[in-house]
Order: sequence, then C-alpha cells, then structure tokens
Amino acid sequence: MASVAAAAGSRRLRRVSQLAHRRGVLAAVLISPAVLFIGALVGTPLVLAVYLSLTDATAGSLSGRWVGFANFRHVWADGIFRGALWHTFLFTAISQAVVVLGAGLLAHALVRRFRGRWLLRFLILLPWAAPVALTTIGFLWFFDPLASIWNWFLIHLHLVSKTSPPNWLGTPTLALTSIIVVQAWRILPFATVIFIAGISSIPQEVDDAAAIDAADGLKKFWYVSLPLQLPIALVALLFGIVFTATDMVVPYLLTNGGPFNSTQMITTWAFQTGINSGNIGEGAAMSLFMLPVLAAVAVGMLVFARRSEVA
Amino acid sequence: MAALVRAWREKGFVYAVAIPFAVVLGFPFAWMAVTALKSQAEVFQPSHTWSFHPTLSSFGFLFHHTKYVRWLENTCFVGLLVVAITLLVAVPAGYALARLAGRVGQSLGVAIFLTYLVPPTLLFLPLSRVISTLHLQDRLWALVLVYPSFTVPFAIWLLMGFFKTIPQELEDAALVDGCSRLSTIVRIVFPISIPGILTVVIFTFSLVVNEFVYAITFITSSTNRTLSVGVPTDLIRADLFNWPGIMAAILIPSIPLALVYNAFLNRFIAGFTGGAFR
Amino acid sequence: MSDSDNVMREGGEQRLTRRRLLEKAGVAAATVGVAGSRAPFSFAGPLKYKGRWLSGSLSIIQWVHFVPAYDTWFDQWAKDWGQRNDVQVTVDHINNTLLDTRAAAEVAARSGHDLFMNLHPMASYEDQVIDHAEIIQEIEKKVGPYSQLGKLATYNPKTKKYFAVSDNYVPDPVVWRHDLWNGVGEAPYTWDHVRSAAPKLKAIGHPIGIGQSQELDSDMALLAFLMCFGSFVQTEENTPDLNTKRTVEAVKFMADVYKRGEDQEIFAWNPSSNNQGLVSGKLSLILNAISATRTPEDLNLPFADDLWIYPIPIGPHGRLGLEHVMGCYSIWKFAKNKAAASKFLVDLCVNYKEATLASKLYNFPSFPGAFPFKQIRKAAAADPHKPHGKYTVLVTIAEKYTKNPGYPGTTNAAFDEVFSKYLIPQMFAQVSQGKLTAAEAVSATQKQIKAIYRKWKARGKI
Repeated sequence: MASVAAAAGSRRLRRVSQLAHRRGVLAAVLISPAVLFIGALVGTPLVLAVYLSLTDATAGSLSGRWVGFANFRHVWADGIFRGALWHTFLFTAISQAVVVLGAGLLAHALVRRFRGRWLLRFLILLPWAAPVALTTIGFLWFFDPLASIWNWFLIHLHLVSKTSPPNWLGTPTLALTSIIVVQAWRILPFATVIFIAGISSIPQEVDDAAAIDAADGLKKFWYVSLPLQLPIALVALLFGIVFTATDMVVPYLLTNGGPFNSTQMITTWAFQTGINSGNIGEGAAMSLFMLPVLAAVAVGMLVFARRSEVA
Repeated sequence: MAALVRAWREKGFVYAVAIPFAVVLGFPFAWMAVTALKSQAEVFQPSHTWSFHPTLSSFGFLFHHTKYVRWLENTCFVGLLVVAITLLVAVPAGYALARLAGRVGQSLGVAIFLTYLVPPTLLFLPLSRVISTLHLQDRLWALVLVYPSFTVPFAIWLLMGFFKTIPQELEDAALVDGCSRLSTIVRIVFPISIPGILTVVIFTFSLVVNEFVYAITFITSSTNRTLSVGVPTDLIRADLFNWPGIMAAILIPSIPLALVYNAFLNRFIAGFTGGAFR
Repeated sequence: MSDSDNVMREGGEQRLTRRRLLEKAGVAAATVGVAGSRAPFSFAGPLKYKGRWLSGSLSIIQWVHFVPAYDTWFDQWAKDWGQRNDVQVTVDHINNTLLDTRAAAEVAARSGHDLFMNLHPMASYEDQVIDHAEIIQEIEKKVGPYSQLGKLATYNPKTKKYFAVSDNYVPDPVVWRHDLWNGVGEAPYTWDHVRSAAPKLKAIGHPIGIGQSQELDSDMALLAFLMCFGSFVQTEENTPDLNTKRTVEAVKFMADVYKRGEDQEIFAWNPSSNNQGLVSGKLSLILNAISATRTPEDLNLPFADDLWIYPIPIGPHGRLGLEHVMGCYSIWKFAKNKAAASKFLVDLCVNYKEATLASKLYNFPSFPGAFPFKQIRKAAAADPHKPHGKYTVLVTIAEKYTKNPGYPGTTNAAFDEVFSKYLIPQMFAQVSQGKLTAAEAVSATQKQIKAIYRKWKARGKI
C-alpha cells in the first residue's frame, strides 16, 4: 500500500518536473513572435529616434552632427514647449478623469438588463466606432464660428448673446476645453467597454456571496465591486492616458496648436518643429521628453494595480 | 416590498445614467445626419439650420465622384488582416505571460507595454525608411506590416488580464487528468476566453480604423488610401470643406461598425454571466 | 539559355536607343508645341503612344488645387504628355497642409515621387534635391527669362544653387463686398481707409477678416501687411531685421483694426476659413487669391457680382504685396526618373498659357514669356463675370505689387522656418488679444528669428 502511494508520488513528481521544463520552453516559443515583431518595428525605430534627438538632423535626412543634449536643453528653454508640456498635462488629466468616472458609472448601468439597453449601448458605442480623424473634422463643423450647433442651442436657450456667441476654437481657454471635450467624448465608449469587461469578469460566486450577505447597492459597490474593479479601472485609465498623451490627431485637426500656441501639445509641437520646420533633431527630443514621464506613470500604476489585485 | 423598491431604485439609477450619456455621445451623430442631408449651398446658410430640403446628393457624390468605396474596402482589408495577425501573435504571448513565465513574464509584460508609450509621430520617419527598403511604399501591405506594432502590445495586455481571471484550478485539473498543456489550452482555456478574444478583435479593429499618421505617411495614391486619410484629403477640395459629404462619409462606416461592436459586446457579456463558473 | 540572354540584352539595348530617339522627338515636339501654342488650347505633337504600355514612368505629387478645374486640366495634360513621351505619368493630389509631412517622409525613406510640388519653395531641403539650373536655362531658352520673383524665391546665393523651379505664383488681392462697403461710404484704398471702415462694417454684422492664426493665409497676409508699413523680416543680405519701430507701429495698427472691426474667430482659422466666411456672406473683406471669387461664381451666390478685387491697400511705406502661394517643383536627388521629370517641368513651364487659363487666372506663370502680361490682361478682360474687367487688376498686382517671400532678401531656409512656425501670426495675435504689448511681442519674435537664422548660418545655407 505504502509502496503504491510512493510510486504514485514519484510519478507525479516526475510529471511536474516535466511540465516545469516544458513550461519554460513553451513560454519562450509562445512569446517570441511578439517580442521579435515589437523589437523590429518599435524598438529599432525608437533607437534611431533617440539617436536623432542627439544630433542636429534636419529635414528628414535621418543623420546629422552629434550635439549631445543640446536639443534637449534648447527645447526646455523654449517657452512654447513648456506651455505645451502644461497643456498636455491638463489635456490628459482632465479628459481621463472625466472618462474614468463616466465610464465606471456607465458600465455599471449597462451590465444590467433593462429595456432599450441595446439602443442606448449602440448610441454610446458610436463615437468609438467612427474613425477619430473624421469625427474630429466633424467637430470642426460643430464648433464652427458661424454654424455651430451648440451655439444655436445656447442662443435659443438665451444663455449667450446672438451677436457674440462663444468662439469655441478661437479663444485660448475655450479651445482647450473643446479639445478636452472631444477627447473625452471619443475615449468614453472605449473605457466603458473595458469596465464592462472588468465587471463581467467578477466571478459570479463573489456576486452571490455579496447578495447573501445582504450587501446591496452602495455597500456592495464600495466594499466588493470597487476593490475588484480597481485593477481594471487602472488599466482603462492607463490606456486612456497613453492614448491621449501620445496621440496628436485631435489637437492637430481641431486647432493645430492655436490660437497662438495656447493649445499646443507636445505631440503637435514636436510634429510642427520636426516636420513643418524641418528640425528633426528637436522634434525627436520633444517626443522623447514624454517617454520617461509616461513610463514612470505607467510603472507606478501597474505596481499599484498588482498590489491591489485580489488573489 | 423592500425588494420591489430596490428594483425600482435600480431601474431609476440605470436610466438616469444611461440616457444622458447616450444623448451626449450620440447627439453629434444626429447632427451629422442632418448635415449630410443638406446641399452644399444650404449648409452655409444659418436660416436653414433645421428647415431645409433634404437631399441624398452628398451620398451620391461620395459613391460616384470619389473613391470612397475603395477606401472602405481598403480599410476593411487592412483591418481584418491586422486583426488576424494580432490574434496569432498576441494570444500565445498573452497566455505565456499570464501563466508560464512567472516573474520574468511580469517584467517582460511591462516592457512590452512601455513600447506603447512611444508616439507614432516619432516613429513614422524611421519606419518610412524601413518601408521603402522593403519596397512597400504606397501599398496597403505597409500598413498591414506596421499596424500590429501598436495593436499587439495592447492585445497582449488585454489577454493577459483575461487569462489571469481564468482560475488556475481549471487548468491544473485538466493537466493532472493527463492532458498535455497544448490540449489544455485548446480544449479548456480557449473556449472560456472567447469573450476576451472577441474584445481583442473589436479593439484591434477600432485601433486600425482610427489610425492616421502612418496611413498618411506610407500611402499616397488616392486608390490606396484608407478612410481616415481619403476623406480629409479628397473631400476638402478648393478652399471649402464639403461638409455634407464629410458627414455622410463619417456615418456610412460608423453605424455598421457600432452595430457589430454592439453585437460582440452582447455575446461577450452573455459569455461571462453564463459560463464555467457555475 | 544564352539565346534568351541575347534576346533580352538586345531588347534592352533597343529600348535604350528608342528612348533616346524619343527624347529627341519629344524635344522636337516641344519646339513645335511652343510655336503652336500661340493658339489657345492647342496640343502640339501627336499622341504617339496612346493605348499601349509605356516604357518609362514618372510620379508627381502636388496639392489639391483650390480651383478644381485646374486639376482636371493638369491630370489630362500630364497623361497626354506621357503618351507623347512614352512615359507613364501618375499624379497624386493631397491636401496642401499635408505636403510638408509627405516631403519629410519621402526624404526619410529616400524614395518617393520624382517631382514634388509644394506651395512654398522647399529651401530647407536644399541638400536633398538636385540643382535645377539646367532646367531653368532650358526653359529660358524657349520662353525668355525667369521672373525676378521666381529667381529670388528658388535660388540660394550662398550655395549658388537653384533648389526648385517655380512654375507659377498666385497674386494676392483683397476681395471685398462692394455693396457693403458702398453702404458705409468707404472703399479699401489705403489701410487707413480699412481702419476707419472696419467698425462701421462690424456694426452692420459684416466684419473684416484678416486672419491671425497658425496657418498659411494669415502668414502671407500679415507679412504683406508688414511690408506696406516698411517692415521686413530680413534685409537684402538675409539678416534678421524685424525689430524696428515700423514693425511695432504695424502690429499696433492691426491690433486696432481687430478691436474695432474683426471677430474673435480670426484666431482659430485654417486656410479655408476666410473663404468660408466670405461665401457665407458674413465677411466684408479678406486677403485671398481669386479662389474666393470663383467659388461664389460657381455656386451662383447672390452677391457674387458684388465681390470686387483690389490690390493690397496702401500703407505708410506704399503698396507691397506677396504672392498668395507659389507653386514650386523640386526633383529629389534620389528620384528614379530625373530625365523625364526635368523634361516634364520644361514642357509645363513652356506651355503655361494653358495652365493659367485652366486655373481661371489663379496661376500666373513664373516665366512670364509663356503668357505675357498683355495677353493675360486681354484674357482677364474677356472674363464674363461682373463687374466686367474686374480680373484685369490681377495683372497690375502681378506686375507691380508682388514680391517673393523674404523680400528684399531671398526665400531661404531660415525664412522658411520662420514662416512654417507661424511666428508672425503669433506675434500679431498676442498683441491683438492683449497678452503682450507690441514692443514686447516684436522683440520676443526677433529673438526667436535670430536663433533660427543663427542655426541656418551655422549650416552654411545663408
């Protein structure tokens, strides 16, 4: 009897060691295509871009004289760049705060069953389904100084005067607000779906257990759903931040940095410096400024997420 | 009685949240539809904001006088191929990082994610050299090659999250019962993670449809353009924007895509509230 | 094996000699074409290679023209040219705002179109393009000298290199609503007139529209405005010269005009905004090329006949203007078919009369011999739109009041960077919005400009 048990035990041990061995190899095999792909298409150009930022390359020549950190110093001394830094921060922080709060709330509503859910979900998904470049151009029309439909409503509700309605894209504060609004508008559905995914993945047992404990509504939300959702909320926030800070489509198409650089973001100013003015080295330096900041934010959030993971 | 009140409160909460959001997110599209039905001359006259003669001329213009249909085809072609490539590369990688690689996997996962932080506005110049060396300029294959560079990291992250929520016990049970790891993956993990995979499909496709910088860099001829690029370049003719045309161009792909995403979402939520947890 | 090798080789050699023959035929055709192009819309030379595979290929990229009829003409002309010269010509059109991006991408990729057209001379890409001197000499042989405007815009006196060939430039008038201005008893003859009329026009709901945004139209308009006040970005020797009393005066003047007679919207414009403002009936004056009048004509708008064209108003320093945009073609050093590209350019500039007419007098030839001013005036006088003869003033503007960007210096890379960074509109906007005083804004901008010029001087380009 004991020998049978011992034999079974040693067989299990052998199997486990076999698995462990295959695990490592298998892991490498499964990961390598991804690593190779990303290494080739992101890593190599990135290295080249870092090199460019340390030279005075111009006009897309992809080579120049070595200037060390001169580009970075010069960029930092540029008032427009510092302004762009600030605007990027505001743009990202405010739009993503709105998105995460809104999406969190909305996702909770959308996972429940109710009449008309399909239609409402359809409307909510629309901004994300439409290509962002096109909808941003569409927003040019919504914010048009002459034909803005918002102004039409505001005027008819007697909230603004007919002769000088707000110029959504021509005044510095309003222009920044408009960009933030458009960005939040288009990211909200995306974040909502991520949240829905998170809520749906909460194992049913947890839900049942909470119900048994007669935790309902707010209590359940605070003590059960929220902690479980934290990881997914952080993922949504993180991706939202990345999409907002590194993407130039919305500010570029709406205001192109105007009026007089009051909505200039790092991405648009880097683009204008690097491409339109031909100063590739400086453009690369600007884009790289963001990298350590974003990396720090990302790593911080990920660490936090991992710590708060349940089981 | 308390249960009924609770049910009503919940319903109230749901509608009070969902309806305003739907209005805010959906109204611009309603206005787009109105604009799309106006004629070019009428669109600039403030007196005709709501009272106008509806016409389908902008749609006709799109289909007959521009290469719009071709752009739609191009976008679909690139989108589907990129989704396939992303799944092929990211599903194994996501699984490996979630299950097999331990601590190294965590760090590798973070590293992969960090590549995401590099903006395309920085990468497109070096990448255009790569594309021209491969003789792919002005071909859609250039986009098929480059797009996975930003869809794969994202997909890996999503899938890592999904695979982690599948209880380890399920797989271990199968392994101990004598299944090889590979067949465990295929027969147990895969069916459960279909909702996750569907999510990755939606996200990847939406990332492709939305992309602008690479599309404008690598593609020049009008026939090879994708939607994001074709509309701004060809519909902003003369000094004037063809607003009805632009609005029509936005609506045509958005509505079907939103319907498809909605359907996927349905399946995906049902997949979770049904499934292997009972 | 060896047989087929021989055949292939023979085929190659045959091809070469045939191409050489073609080139000669092409030149002959062009000569005949010059002679024959006196008659309007004549295509000289037979379409020898119509309907068969063409052996060479030529790729061209240019903007989506603001007058759509030009693109229709150009695409057909290019195709016919290809069939006369055994070259497969492809023309890609993209939005004017995206041309710079494409140029950068093509240079980075070291591959792209053979002929690259931009709306401003690409001075910063001087090292990536060939020397166009031979092409210009070829054209001059056929139709006469390059205009001073063209030369100053595409020639670098420091490196003695022609970095582009300008085929056309676009005179920049003011377009104004005669009915509205008449109604307040004014006309935009001088800038003082504009300043006094502005509040009256704004009061009746039709403000003036001179942009102060980060875009091409604002840039050109404000630079021309500065010139009327005797203020220039650089001297004849290409050194920065913005910080003068006259600049401060000009900036103050425009801020005043804004306060009295313009709308806030001018700070958020793109190149089509002033056109849209005019077409919607709102704006009473804009500084723009005649695409602004052609569109209302095409759309049959009620006030199309009330849109008059004047030269730029007179300022304290007189009347000086810039071209609205300038078509410049460059051939990359890495272009695959430089020979065909050169020939295409030569033929295009030589036949420019057709181009000007096809663009409805938007494009004026940079080689005036191709379509002398007297003849353009006659064509303009024959334009049917009311008031009759209104387009003849374009010829006066082109002859007398159009200077190259960077006048009195040349259009060099440093000036190009100042232009592309929209430093001038920014300077005006900050003062108009009360963020800085005129003196502060001008001196700050001068500092930025000096830094840019220092950089390009260190590179040996000025």
